[in-house]
Amino acid sequence: MVTDTDTERTTTGGTTSPPTAPATSARPATWGRVLRSEWIKTRSLRSTWLTAAAILIVVVGFGVLAAMAAGGDISGPNGGGPRLAGRGGPLATVLAGANLAVLVVAVLGAVVGAREFASGMIRTTFAAVPRRLPVLGGKLVTFVAVVLPVVLVGLLGAFFAGMAVLDHSGAATLSWSDDGVARALIGQALYVVGLGLIGLALGVLLRSTAAAIGTTLGAVLFLPALATALLPSDWSTVLKYLPSNAGSAFTSLNPTGDVLTVGQGAAVFAGWVVLASAGAVIALLRRDA
Amino acid sequence: MIEVNELTKTYGSGERAVMAVDHVTFTVHPGVVTGFLGPNGAGKSTTMRSILGLDRPTSGTATVNGRAFRDAPAPLSELGALLEAKALDKGRSARNHLLALGATIGVGAGRVDEVLELVGLTDVARSRAGGFSLGMGQRLGIAAALLGDPQAVMLDEPVNGLDPDGIRWIRTLLKDLAGQGRTVFVSSHLMSEMELTADHLIVIGAGRIMADMPMGEFIRQSSQHRVRVISPDAARLRDLLVGPQVAVSSDAPERLEIEGLHAREVGIVAAEHGIVLHQLVDVAPSLEEAFMELTRDSVAYHGSVAQPGKAA
Repeated sequence: MVTDTDTERTTTGGTTSPPTAPATSARPATWGRVLRSEWIKTRSLRSTWLTAAAILIVVVGFGVLAAMAAGGDISGPNGGGPRLAGRGGPLATVLAGANLAVLVVAVLGAVVGAREFASGMIRTTFAAVPRRLPVLGGKLVTFVAVVLPVVLVGLLGAFFAGMAVLDHSGAATLSWSDDGVARALIGQALYVVGLGLIGLALGVLLRSTAAAIGTTLGAVLFLPALATALLPSDWSTVLKYLPSNAGSAFTSLNPTGDVLTVGQGAAVFAGWVVLASAGAVIALLRRDA
Repeated sequence: MIEVNELTKTYGSGERAVMAVDHVTFTVHPGVVTGFLGPNGAGKSTTMRSILGLDRPTSGTATVNGRAFRDAPAPLSELGALLEAKALDKGRSARNHLLALGATIGVGAGRVDEVLELVGLTDVARSRAGGFSLGMGQRLGIAAALLGDPQAVMLDEPVNGLDPDGIRWIRTLLKDLAGQGRTVFVSSHLMSEMELTADHLIVIGAGRIMADMPMGEFIRQSSQHRVRVISPDAARLRDLLVGPQVAVSSDAPERLEIEGLHAREVGIVAAEHGIVLHQLVDVAPSLEEAFMELTRDSVAYHGSVAQPGKAA
């Protein structure tokens, strides 16, 4: 009780408080209130909803198109309609749009992370929340809250619609209850959102939208693919710990080659997300804004 | 109350280090408008940024209402600041910008609409802030500063881009805020505006505090005060006024310029001797004159006349 009274006295400012009664009843800037602030920021940008729509269209649309092509309902560019479904299996076919979603979400993350630094808004934000850390927390949580449901809905839509198309044309299909399907789909959703979070963290770290997009796409997505292709195979023990390779351990149905187990892959990938976020936290707290 | 104690901020390191602010100490008291004056590059913005915690001081401290701003439980209700009018997201409407800021301390739509009304942006509240003019951006920045009904307000160049109406409005607003017992700290490079608005002056030059005193005192001590008189009987008045502390000059038969006396004293002497006066004016030096005199040697960026043929 003594501490309560003391706090009360401090917040009202003692004898130096303005003689007028405050017109507003300000409350402490808790993590929850800062999260709400970040949610209002996200909600009030048209690009948020355009990107969400783009993710849905890309994931479902390309999944259905790929299923139609694989099932022979539409012709490929060379006029032929071989049953492509066998190349990566039916799951890979209906999730054809997921790779594009990875790009869209990674770019979105980088933009969300760097946006306020690029516009100068971050100084207004930090003047309202000088502790800074809740701002990053709010951005990360809001990003997951918006993007994860959209990606999940998109992947599920692509799965069920794509499988229906494949089934209609008599190609091989998978059902939700087949071994590993649910895990691969949810894993894919988490992987996409995780890359978005890495993009967000890099955006905060680099404070430039272009640099963040370049680094996220280059270092996280293309570099590992390039390294896997160019380096001798005995490097694979190292390369499998890269974000994209660790991701494929829990996003693909039947991983091939020297890869981590599902659990290891998830843990390693989560480690990358945490590492990038930790870098963002340190930069955020140490730098002048 | 804003207290800055031995604040030093150095940018860069090694030989290229630039000391923007050098052991600066001052206090901004509640109840008066305190003006923060200094040439470009003198350290005004660095000081304000350090108070807000946007810059981490190399050494020294800055406190708001007795503690580091970072430790304020509800920051926007303790110190409302306008640093740059365009420090906002162009894609968001003015109203949503304020709603997002207000949400950090639980301030809702009611107060947001109130401050929008106060700064005259109600009509464009739902338009994208990216389309705002500089003046509208300033008004939105001021709305943000007032949103949390703060005990202290800190505004960097608030009249930038405002029309004469807007400038008058700011002047009244700042005086009202100070009249309510709040701490008001405002920088401006517009001397005439500062002279009309500020009660107290803090002058910074080359990163150091050069003056910290009431406006009147600053003007009085920095330059000579003069009284201008027009009288048909100028010669007789002159003889009555001259003395060891008083110098009188004249550039026309009926005109006198008196140094060392105030208009009141000249008027009394004239009345006692039945001298007719057509004009009796206190000619105070302007703040600008006083300021230029004080900072002449500390201006970081002197304008220079280009020398033809010597261009690199």
